Amino acid sequence: MLPTEPVGSIPRPAALIAGVQDFQAGRISQRELSALYDAAVQDTIQRLEATGSPVITDGEQAKHSFATYSIHGLDNLSPDGVPIPFADGHIRHFPRLISGPFRYKTPADVYLEAAQRYAHVPVKQAVVSASALSLLYPQGGIRGYSREEYLDALITEQEGEIRRCLEMGAHVVQMDFTEGRLSIKLDPSRRLLQSFIDLNNLVLERFSAEERKRIGVHTCPGADRHSTHSADVDYAELLPSLFALKANNFCVQLASEPDRKRVLRMIREHVRDGQRIFVGVIDPLDPRVETPEEVRDRILEASDYIAPDRLGTTDDCGFAPFSDDTSRTRETAFDKIRARVAGTALASRLLGLE
Amino acid sequence: MPEQGEVRDAILDRLNRRLRTLCQCTSTFLQVESEQELLQSLCEILVAGGDCRLAWIGYCEDDADKTIRPVAQAGSGLDYVERVKTSWGEMEAGQGPAGMAARTGQACCVDDIRTDTRFSPWRAAALAGGYASCIAVPLIARGKKGGAVDLRGTLNLYSAEYKAFDESAIEHYTGLATSLAYAVTALRGHLADDLASGVTALRARAERKRSEEALHQAREELARVTRVTTLGELAASIAHEVNQPLAAIVADANACLHWLDADPPPFDSIREALAGVVNDGNRAGEVIARIRALVTRSSVAHGPCDLGGVVRDVLVLVGPELGRHGTVLHTFLATGLPPIMGDRVQLQQVLLNLLLNAAEAVRDVPPERRRVVVRSTLEQREDGPWAVVAVEDAGVGFREEQAARLFEAFYTTKPDGLGMGLSISRSIIDGHRGRLWATANPGHGATFQFALPPMR
Repeated sequence: MLPTEPVGSIPRPAALIAGVQDFQAGRISQRELSALYDAAVQDTIQRLEATGSPVITDGEQAKHSFATYSIHGLDNLSPDGVPIPFADGHIRHFPRLISGPFRYKTPADVYLEAAQRYAHVPVKQAVVSASALSLLYPQGGIRGYSREEYLDALITEQEGEIRRCLEMGAHVVQMDFTEGRLSIKLDPSRRLLQSFIDLNNLVLERFSAEERKRIGVHTCPGADRHSTHSADVDYAELLPSLFALKANNFCVQLASEPDRKRVLRMIREHVRDGQRIFVGVIDPLDPRVETPEEVRDRILEASDYIAPDRLGTTDDCGFAPFSDDTSRTRETAFDKIRARVAGTALASRLLGLE
Repeated sequence: MPEQGEVRDAILDRLNRRLRTLCQCTSTFLQVESEQELLQSLCEILVAGGDCRLAWIGYCEDDADKTIRPVAQAGSGLDYVERVKTSWGEMEAGQGPAGMAARTGQACCVDDIRTDTRFSPWRAAALAGGYASCIAVPLIARGKKGGAVDLRGTLNLYSAEYKAFDESAIEHYTGLATSLAYAVTALRGHLADDLASGVTALRARAERKRSEEALHQAREELARVTRVTTLGELAASIAHEVNQPLAAIVADANACLHWLDADPPPFDSIREALAGVVNDGNRAGEVIARIRALVTRSSVAHGPCDLGGVVRDVLVLVGPELGRHGTVLHTFLATGLPPIMGDRVQLQQVLLNLLLNAAEAVRDVPPERRRVVVRSTLEQREDGPWAVVAVEDAGVGFREEQAARLFEAFYTTKPDGLGMGLSISRSIIDGHRGRLWATANPGHGATFQFALPPMR
């Protein structure tokens, strides 16, 4: 069967969202909040396994957001960093580093360890890319802590995080690289994108070819509430550079693209030997649940451009990359994942891959 | 005909609008946080200023069609920008104002879209959008180093009036585009350049580390090959060393077979012979184990190391070789040498090399000078007791002018030598924070010795 896996996040249960607010207001203790996180992880894994998905995640239930989970709670951050404007007008602000040294507070392996306690199938672990976190460093610099020092620390932290996840038996470690298309908006000359690629490759090069077989990259134009931050940037701006990343698996947003065939043609043109493409067959921003037949047809369409032995399926994006995002329900997310799994099975049968 | 006063007022009004536009643009240049925001804001300000109906900015691509890619637009008829294709190449699509401006670096004006033949490919779409004249001004910035073009694009404005862009307008918008290009460069400088310089520095560091590791591996491999070569020189002696216990084992085993025929068998003798078999087997095994360690090991493993044991191990290997050539070996080994921090195999290699050099140095001298002395001593220094191992011979020695080059790579006084042994030995001892040196003996021959610091 074609491999199929989720991107990462699932909307948090209402009880958990309320619990986080209670904790911030001092109404419940850290211990009580931890219990809520634990219950959410356990429930999410149980329900993800029930969809039949051969690979699962923890739904990022305990993460503050896909981008800031490792640094949330650090006392050398200020909330007024780089703004990320979304198409519907809302803005998320990245934090800003105010002093060195830089260390992760909660690396991804901490979340993986918790997930593995409840999982009965392989667990995939998402990590935020070094390029995303490179935006933490302020443009004006930090006295006594150079950008080079910061980037060096960042790479070391991320290498450690990924290596520990691999050692703990993560099915695959996925580097979330949603700022790829965004970088074109920030700098249409694409030099920023090139720096992002170079930086992430500095991390990836620390792993052997064998280890990199279990490292993937996810790209999408962001998904928060009902909106994206860079869907208006043409994929043609990103794809040639994307596959220069020294990873083997690429989870590529596709379902929500207006012209999927054009994107598939570009993927076929630029993908490199040994790289597997997990095409997005589910659009998390679309409130309607796709049917397995729709998913099947999207996969068959993709197989016209990508050989089945280099094809896999995934969701376009996580269903709630930011923990406070309530624009989708858990039920919808699980239904959509169920459709992905069923549709992938249908397509696999037709492609003779059962 | 308008009155003179009306003309003056119109000019004043136009100049005021331009001044307001300039002030707004300058303020935007200072406030925006991204390039996209800057470009978009500028287009919006220009349209709001009232001098144009549509404003768009295009960046020049280096693709086959030399496309001018719209990156920001504002005003009436935005679909016009999406519909028309412009280029900065020499083909027809590059002959319009945008293509000309990008290619020549000069502003290009179309006073009447209805009649200007350069505008033919886009005329219908432009007239449908309500545009009567247009101007394209180059947006060009050069990189900090070497003057390479860092940004190439055009600012394009469309008016509903004919001849809307006179000389003063061209000057105004050209100046604005120049400022815009500077602002773009400055913004990119903050984002892309800062990150790129950090990444470049880290990349250089990673490459340096990789090179150092490769060099280190090459050195270790060279050392291993040298060890194997050295052992080749000992092949005859080693064969003898292994053969001797094997012969004894065969003899003892035969004796046992013979004794087993007796009734009753002499069990005490059999037991004694079998004990001999075990001892000789162990002896042969130890020789082979020592050789295997020297041949197969390629990575350095520093740890607490008994230098006395190192010396004894090497003497077991080299002693027979010296004897084979009639060389007498004297040993004066200090008891209670402190343990040092080091790599056992590497230190064995150094001593092996010094001893074989000494053996060769005495091979062709009169028999009474065919002697080699190995001495280990303890030397008190400020940081504690250092262990010193010296190999002294009465052989051919070296001349004063040769002394400085003895430890150079590829320097050799032997006709068939590679000249690597002493060079590698010195790098090994340096790697142990020790010292290896040579002195000419007062009479004959030379003394090579190395000193190693105590373990911390």
